[in-house]
Amino acid sequence: MLGSSRIWKRRLPGAAAVFTAAALALAGCAGGGTTETTDKGSADSGSITWWGWTPDAAPAEAYIKAFNKVYPNIKVTYKKLTIDGYDAAIRPALASSVGPDVFDVAPGAANGSVEIYGVNAVDLTPAVQKALGADWKSKLAPIGVSSLTTDGKLAAFSVGSNFAGPVWVNQDLFDKYGLKPPTNYDEWKQVCAAFKTHDIKCFVQGAAQTAFNEDTLQAISNNVKPGVWAQALDKKVPWTDPTIVKALTIWKGLFDDGIMQEGALGTQQYPDANNEFMSGKAAMVMMGTWYMQYSTVDGSTAAISGAGVGDPKPFTQLPIAFPDVAGTGNVGSLYGDADFGLAVNKKSKSIAAATTFATWLGTSEAGQQAVADILNDIPALTSVQPDWNSIKLVNPAVQQPALEKLISDAGKSSEPRLATVSADLQTAIGVASTTVAARQATPEQAAATLQSTAEKIK
Amino acid sequence: MSTKLLLQLLVTLMIIPYLFPLVVMVQGSLAGKGLGNYEAVFAVGTVGTFFRNSVIVSASTILIVYVLTMFAAFGFSKLHIRGKEVYFWMILAALTLPEVVLLTPLFATTLSIGVYDTYWAVVLPLAALQIPFAVLLARKFIDGVPDSLFDAARVDGASIFTAFRYIVVPMTRPIAAAIVVLTLIGSWNDYLLPLVLIQDPAKQTITLLPQFFVSQFSNDQTKVLASAVITAIPEIVAYLCLQRLFERGLAAGALK
Amino acid sequence: MTSITSPKTGARRPSPAPLPDGSRKRGGRPAGLPWIMPAFVFVVGLLYYCIIETGYLSTLDWDGTSPTPTSVGLGNYSEILQDPIFWKAIWHTVVFFVVTFTVQTAIGFVFAALLHSKVKLGAVYKVLVFTPVVLAPATMAPVFRQMFAADGQLNWALDHLGLGFLSQPWLAQSSTAMPVIMFITVWQFTGLTFVLYFAAMGQIDPETLEAARTDGASNLRVLVSIVWPGVRGTTVALAMLGVIGALKTFDVPYLVTIGGPNYSTEFLGTYIYRISIPSAHVGYGAALSILLLILALLGAIAVAARANRKDGESSV
Repeated sequence: MLGSSRIWKRRLPGAAAVFTAAALALAGCAGGGTTETTDKGSADSGSITWWGWTPDAAPAEAYIKAFNKVYPNIKVTYKKLTIDGYDAAIRPALASSVGPDVFDVAPGAANGSVEIYGVNAVDLTPAVQKALGADWKSKLAPIGVSSLTTDGKLAAFSVGSNFAGPVWVNQDLFDKYGLKPPTNYDEWKQVCAAFKTHDIKCFVQGAAQTAFNEDTLQAISNNVKPGVWAQALDKKVPWTDPTIVKALTIWKGLFDDGIMQEGALGTQQYPDANNEFMSGKAAMVMMGTWYMQYSTVDGSTAAISGAGVGDPKPFTQLPIAFPDVAGTGNVGSLYGDADFGLAVNKKSKSIAAATTFATWLGTSEAGQQAVADILNDIPALTSVQPDWNSIKLVNPAVQQPALEKLISDAGKSSEPRLATVSADLQTAIGVASTTVAARQATPEQAAATLQSTAEKIK
Repeated sequence: MSTKLLLQLLVTLMIIPYLFPLVVMVQGSLAGKGLGNYEAVFAVGTVGTFFRNSVIVSASTILIVYVLTMFAAFGFSKLHIRGKEVYFWMILAALTLPEVVLLTPLFATTLSIGVYDTYWAVVLPLAALQIPFAVLLARKFIDGVPDSLFDAARVDGASIFTAFRYIVVPMTRPIAAAIVVLTLIGSWNDYLLPLVLIQDPAKQTITLLPQFFVSQFSNDQTKVLASAVITAIPEIVAYLCLQRLFERGLAAGALK
Repeated sequence: MTSITSPKTGARRPSPAPLPDGSRKRGGRPAGLPWIMPAFVFVVGLLYYCIIETGYLSTLDWDGTSPTPTSVGLGNYSEILQDPIFWKAIWHTVVFFVVTFTVQTAIGFVFAALLHSKVKLGAVYKVLVFTPVVLAPATMAPVFRQMFAADGQLNWALDHLGLGFLSQPWLAQSSTAMPVIMFITVWQFTGLTFVLYFAAMGQIDPETLEAARTDGASNLRVLVSIVWPGVRGTTVALAMLGVIGALKTFDVPYLVTIGGPNYSTEFLGTYIYRISIPSAHVGYGAALSILLLILALLGAIAVAARANRKDGESSV
């Protein structure tokens, strides 16, 4: 320390110091190029890294283990990031020359948007043609292909997809109080009043996390008149369409008529609403096909314990159709997107090995079976079904038929969920949903504001 | 006696709002499986490595911040510098950018100076972000040391460095302790920089512990809170150890 | 009495020097540039690239990855000035700063003073007030959402205290969400204020305090007329940090309320994050950041200037 201070005593002129600082700063400007690596490396050996916000560490390990049975010489290292941290981390990593070889992307405006990061991805069309043949499109769920294709290039392999539309109920709670899951608005109101007398919350929604409000609004809107919501997303009809206004009015009713839990606007879907449902404090929640994993004994027990229950006892969780709140009889609509896909980084030094891994997980029987059995995603390879014999459900007699129906209905749906919604539009829909619920705007006003904001979005 | 009792009562009443959320939090970390949540956190198997890495990062950051800050604060406070305030505000300006905005440029910088994916990638920016406020604090503190003390030293023929060594260093102990604590908190708790600037899982820091329990469609709050308790304990211990330094100030000795 | 006045003499650099440069006092001061240069080069070298880069980005219309950003000059800035959410965020920041800074300073100062006088179990209180500082807001956010929920612990406590009429869904209402955010912030940062005041009070000569007491000054008077002026430097530093921190406020509102309901807890920090990361309007976000930088500097300079003027007045 003494030495250094002696050096400084020689009065380093200020100008030189500033120059040093500037030079240091300018050194930062030298970023990497954007060209694709030409040397693709070996296709069945090497070491690759995979970044994602999903799946969890445990299933990822299971996937990698299954993969290594086929390709023992490719070492895959999975780095799991949080949803909130993913965009912050992946953006600079992809811009550099040391980013991951394989990375998660998703359709739409949520994290890891394929619209944004697709430019960093290799076109996987040749790989899929090689793996599944020329008619590959007929073997994969169309929703996974279309939503992960940008600028005519297949930017990622869909691992599976998720659909929203159903409401999940705690069947044991309904049975305990001799109640039946509601099928229309009046029943729903009565069920909620009945639960209230037992100090049970009826329906929880994390309305502060507005992306999940879209699920509920889309369900209501499809009940009023099927397809209008999707057309509005597509700019085919304005947001001021009577169907949307009616949907917003019913949405407001859920708050006014005691169906929605008190304080919904200050609640988030995760972890708050999820925990309320898992801990048996609430009887119903608006969740999608990803909730299938909690029908298993293990999945359910872990989720209940995670919600802070000391002695977790799995209960019967069942998907029901969203109640016929508008009285039109149009029920059971499902809308979904590819959950996430694996993209291969253009600048990877092992493009071939990375492509091998992504192709295996997204298109091979073995890879997709591993995905299906976790019941988190509906597999992208349509020929694969969950192996019910190996899956231990809490209440198989009731749950298995319900899940089978959900999976088969989902396979028929082509209505998008969030994939086509830009972040700006998502914000605007969120504003409409919360201002109406907080009585700061009438449904008509909120729809008009939403429309005028939507028009400004490029 | 009654005044003392009154003060005790006052401080107890004031602490309740601070205690309440802490109780809720610890309760939460024990909900469900009770201590099993803590076991689950340790069962992840990386706690030791993460802990060691956090110690390395924090200790290096503290060292850099302490040395550079004390030199600079002494210079700003007691020595002659032309355009002093310009330098000072240029340093302070670095404090005003939100971390999200810093990430991408920092990524480019760490990459180009070749420290990406090393501890330095986290230590250097952390230190640079801590120094401005530390300098501000230490400068204000040294301002409080009477000039006469230095004048006297100079009459004795002591060099500036001797003055620094024998007057500034010992007398600034309370503020140095505060700076060490602040820097420790800043570096120990930082989440975004290690997340983005370190890729090697073996070099990750302890703030990344909760992410093992949070995923797209699940969020095991009990274990997240248990991780938070585990993460916080070393800092509280460090604070308690440094605690005595806060009190042993200049007033006690050197002034007379 | 020397120790009461001496910090002030020190704080006031010999600016109103009666003698021109080269006088005994000033010219005698050794050169300080080498002493500040290591810190200066380090900070400026590492972080100014970020500022320059952000300044450049602020003139673009860009999503952060597309190869063809459009240059829009100062377009982003003029758009911001007409952005109602920007003005909302500024207004929130002002209110937020005034309230949190006042409360935090008052509580932190009183705590430090109380714990300097020999209260029993001092270490326990110190740890309790300090612990919130080290807890990451990301972990605490769900705890607070639970505490302030309609069926949360706060309403439960109110009901049991016979104050049930006060219970309400705190975070779900625009009118109560902001006070909750302020409470959490004060909860989190009082420990910091406390630690710094506690350290600063170590600089006050105990003999002076003793002397004042034997003069018959009451505890309160000693506190107001000796201790409070004695820690002025710390108060000024905290005020400057407070201004900058308030403008950058991000974690608590983002994690607890996501800036809602309906933008009622939106700050510049949360807005910049939403705009630059999820919405990917990198240019607009950069322009907001540059405005934040300017406002923060102006705010901090205003605090410093006010402090200097006051120093000048009181020393005359």
